[in-house]
Amino acid sequence: MAEIELRNVRKQWGAVVGVNDVNLTITDEEFLVLLGPSGCGKTTTMRMIAGLEDPSAGDVVIDGEVVNEVDARDRDVAMVFQSYALYPNMTIYENIRFPLRMRDVPKARHAELVQRAAEMVELGDYLHRKPGALSGGQRQRAALARAIVRQPHVFLMDEPLSNLDAKLRTAMRVQLKHLQRQLKITTVYVTHDQVEAMTLADRIVIMDGGEIQQIGTPDEIYTDPANTFVAGFIGSPPMNLIGGRLEGGSFTAPGIRVDGLGENAGARNAILGVRPEDCHVVGAPAHFNAKIFAIEPMGDQTVVSLSTDGHLVEVRAARDYRAPLDSMAHISFDLDRLYLFDETSGERLR
Amino acid sequence: MALRRRSGENLALRYVILCAWALVCLVPILWFLSIGFRPRTEIITPQPIYWPTFSLDAWHMIWDDWPMANYLRNSLLAIAGSVVIDLVLAVPAAYSLARYNYKGREDIGFYILSTRMMAPAIVAIPIFFLFKGLGLLDTVWALMLVYAAINLSVVTWIIRSYMMDIPHELEDAARTDGASDLRILWEIVIPICLPGIITAAVIAAIFAINEFLFTLLIASTKNAYTMSVALANFTGGSDGKIYNAIALVSFLAFVPVFLLVVFIQKHLSRGLTLGALKG
Amino acid sequence: MTQTAFKAGGAAVVAASPPAGRRVRRSAFQRKLFPYLLVAPAVCYLLMITLYPGVYAIYQSFFFVRFNEWIPAGFDNYVELFQHDEFWGALWNTFVIGGIALTLECVIALALAYYAYRDPLIRGWRIVFLLPMLFMPSAVAFIWKLAFADGRVISDLLMRVGLITENIDFLGVVWNARLTLIVADVWQWTPFLFIIFVAALQAQDKEIEEAARLDGASWSAIFWNISLPLMKPVIAVAVILRGIDITTMFANVFIMTQGTPGGTTETISFFIYRMGFRTFNFGYASAASAVMLILTLIIAQLLLKRFFRSGRA
Repeated sequence: MAEIELRNVRKQWGAVVGVNDVNLTITDEEFLVLLGPSGCGKTTTMRMIAGLEDPSAGDVVIDGEVVNEVDARDRDVAMVFQSYALYPNMTIYENIRFPLRMRDVPKARHAELVQRAAEMVELGDYLHRKPGALSGGQRQRAALARAIVRQPHVFLMDEPLSNLDAKLRTAMRVQLKHLQRQLKITTVYVTHDQVEAMTLADRIVIMDGGEIQQIGTPDEIYTDPANTFVAGFIGSPPMNLIGGRLEGGSFTAPGIRVDGLGENAGARNAILGVRPEDCHVVGAPAHFNAKIFAIEPMGDQTVVSLSTDGHLVEVRAARDYRAPLDSMAHISFDLDRLYLFDETSGERLR
Repeated sequence: MALRRRSGENLALRYVILCAWALVCLVPILWFLSIGFRPRTEIITPQPIYWPTFSLDAWHMIWDDWPMANYLRNSLLAIAGSVVIDLVLAVPAAYSLARYNYKGREDIGFYILSTRMMAPAIVAIPIFFLFKGLGLLDTVWALMLVYAAINLSVVTWIIRSYMMDIPHELEDAARTDGASDLRILWEIVIPICLPGIITAAVIAAIFAINEFLFTLLIASTKNAYTMSVALANFTGGSDGKIYNAIALVSFLAFVPVFLLVVFIQKHLSRGLTLGALKG
Repeated sequence: MTQTAFKAGGAAVVAASPPAGRRVRRSAFQRKLFPYLLVAPAVCYLLMITLYPGVYAIYQSFFFVRFNEWIPAGFDNYVELFQHDEFWGALWNTFVIGGIALTLECVIALALAYYAYRDPLIRGWRIVFLLPMLFMPSAVAFIWKLAFADGRVISDLLMRVGLITENIDFLGVVWNARLTLIVADVWQWTPFLFIIFVAALQAQDKEIEEAARLDGASWSAIFWNISLPLMKPVIAVAVILRGIDITTMFANVFIMTQGTPGGTTETISFFIYRMGFRTFNFGYASAASAVMLILTLIIAQLLLKRFFRSGRA
């Protein structure tokens, strides 16, 4: 039951700016994901919400109260760390009980609350062990149990799944999402993994260079990117971004010509964005014609890389598509799924 | 030299050298041990006797004729007390130096370390007058305070090194879990770096057993004589020294030190370099 | 539910608070002060045994002290100190005895470490080599005093094997007396360096060694070209620590030679002790202390910061 607001929040160390003028409102019960490459300021933003880092300027507001001066321990937030940060000197039981002791929850209730939290993450059998004797996945769940045991106002999760192997990560993702829906606790989740972001988030905040690039639901982020950074960051393989010229509703680049792109007045340089799945291999010359550079069969699909003017364009083709290297391929685009961006600012042209 | 391995290293040479040094270490110790169990008559002869007769003369003498119990008690009290003082002062200091970012932190750390470089003799006279003024001369309390002071830098730096190894995320987690700084120190940091704290305590205890100059100045009777200085008091033999008693007391002090060092063996090199070497 | 929140300055302000949790405010001042409070007791304690005595020694050095009477002396104590050979002699003795002992300890420890660290019996060697270090320095002084004493074991053994024909006077001849101090120190403290060097060698990345082996380097080539350069910082730290202890050598001198013959084994520590507590010339001894204090401070500044980099991650 908490709403978090960041007002013009800024963090800098000397001349280095980590987070620049972030404004963000996280609504009650929301699952919000901060997504971005490493060093983009997402973890710093989260640590400022937690109170582990003081903002250089701006306010962190929880439930209408400015909490800049409030210590991390008094903010009633629970955090799950990438390294799990389990206390190695305590058993799992003691680990999960730790926040209860620190918050003066009556002793009589400890056993019951710990047991319940442990069962929620299916860790009931391991309570007497030390963290060192647990597998990565079990440690991860213990860290989760420690976070949920006291039912905090806010969950903060800093790349909690990135130390797990791929299979376990997928399984835990589902568990996490289910758990958050069940507990209805406002959650901020930091990751650099776009799949985690897409699958978990109610809303995604994409950050780069300390600034917010776009805020939106996973669908909005995917189908309506605000700039080339967002467009290129989301999607696997990511959106193709092709530099060219836009004139009288036509976009041209070496090997590419697309007409009927509305009436953008005047001639200008622009970037055309097209997702690999919005490209179709056809038999006759179409929007885009180029030589095949590589073919990567993926099982359910085939990714075809085409070489044009020194850079590669990736196209999704049918699973049985095969063709010799260096032969010409003809690609037609879904015209209503094309994006145009300003060449210099990278902002979307609308 | 048949003992050549593929690596080309001369194994025979290796063992000759290592065995030679082992003898250098062991022979004087065994010989000194034999001194401790000789009868009085054999230690005052001018010519060395290589096949001594076994005797517990010295053992009876140190307890019956000399206040050995006092020496032991003084050593124990002064050392234990000084280690406690050191830990009480050093643990918070080390935590502050290892974990907080503040102005002057490096300078404070180096100031603490630099006291390790101070020769005891330099401060001996003022310290002597200080304790004289306080009326603490010839007391175990004065020894306790001095030993604590001598070892505080070492203890602080060793513990600091171990504390710096604790991942920051643990403390962040504890903080968001609701722990105050002091509780984090008490419940998380201290238990995790307990091996470092024990190592520091053992090394401080050994240095305290060894201490000589200050003890010589402060102690003047059996009220404060420790084993280290008491050795010099076993006088009365032909060349002025009662060597069988000296040897025996030396070994009495050696045994606990040996056990302590075996106990912290894995951490010894790290402790001796004040944490600089993480073995 | 109402909660009490604390604002800077300690004035309690009653504020409407969120449904759960206590949001206690702590001022930036309080948070900034906390680390200083943690380190303050230790620093105060150390100031008591360094700053106070330092100031005291400097102050006292400007007086002639006769029992309880302090007669102002100006710089006379210093003039006397620098004019007399005793002080310079003590400095020189400390330097010579310490320098030779430290060099020997370093060479022996490094050689032993080189031969021992890959040996399968390393744990055994470590324990055996460690033993001399576990005796009290005063005990070690007595071991060697007795061994070197006139007509005792060392002379006797040398005569038996026919190397010498009459007892060597170990404590009456300048370099012999210095030698006894050096032997005692080397015997006791070579293990200190050995333990550290072995640990440093064992801690080194085995893959680097293996890569060098595959490149065809012999063990000694690896040691000289790779292991030793990598060990430099550790060697520096160990040698500094040993060097500090060796220059403050006192117990051995007190027990073995008392500075004889003719003050040629008198170290600076023993000099200060003798001036203060044997001749009760406290002002003069304090002048020597003050000079040593300043020397120590300079050396500490030069050495410590360089070799004890805090190594923060």
